[in-house]
Amino acid sequence: MGKRSVSTEDSAENSPEHAGGAAPAVPRNRGVGMLIITAYGIFAVSSTARALYQLIVHGEDAPVAYALSGLAAAVYILATLALARTSAAAWRTALAAVLVELVGVVGVGLWTVLEPQLFADATVWSHFGQGYGYVPLVLPLIGLAWLLRHRSGARRAAAARDAESSEIRE
Amino acid sequence: MTVMMIVGTVVCAASLLICWGMTPVRDHPADSSIVSIAAVELFLVAYGLYAGARQLGFDAPILGEVWEFWGYLATALLLPIGVFIWAMVDRTRWSNLVMSSVGLVVFVMVYRMEEIWWGSAL
Repeated sequence: MGKRSVSTEDSAENSPEHAGGAAPAVPRNRGVGMLIITAYGIFAVSSTARALYQLIVHGEDAPVAYALSGLAAAVYILATLALARTSAAAWRTALAAVLVELVGVVGVGLWTVLEPQLFADATVWSHFGQGYGYVPLVLPLIGLAWLLRHRSGARRAAAARDAESSEIRE
Repeated sequence: MTVMMIVGTVVCAASLLICWGMTPVRDHPADSSIVSIAAVELFLVAYGLYAGARQLGFDAPILGEVWEFWGYLATALLLPIGVFIWAMVDRTRWSNLVMSSVGLVVFVMVYRMEEIWWGSAL
């Protein structure tokens, strides 16, 4: 058990984004953000695999469901990439992707409940993501909260949280 | 429930608990977390070899679709490696939490693979 002490403060100070800032803050794509990006990455992979599998193997059995599977996959891929980057443009892209995702999971969720005959096969978002333990419903809310907390204006709050967590560490 | 399913559940659950346990007590990726996801990878290799032997003609034919099963396995095998690389990008306590996703997701994937092969995982 090598006790390497690589703290979040070190990595924040080294990042160019905070080079001139007085209080170092954890960048959006580090710390807990790593976990959110991991979750998005896993959904990007699994929904892409599902969409490809449905389109290749089952072809035209359920066109609405398969088109939505493809859309969901594209949104997850976009959200993963945008969340992993720190530029202002990436922030806006991530926000848009997360909002589309939220609308998608709620909309498709309602749609599958109201008109199940349209969906001969399931999508990631069917019944509000039931087949995936409702994670698809929770994920955009977490993503949204994370993005709103990590605007440039929210950096002070992040720095305050940081100071708090380093106190706990000591 | 097959022996492989039981072993997989135990390995994944142990990995999940170790990674969760290490998150508050280590401010860097804990060795035990890394070893635990390596154990998950090792289990998947064994699971794949055993499934390969079954595929080649023991008396337990696959009920679901062959390439769906192997697609799941290939994805599952890549997961611990990908997550490990991602967890090493920023070596903080959160790396442990990132690595905890391996046990969780691989368990679900093994459950699905068992369903595809036997028709039911239980």
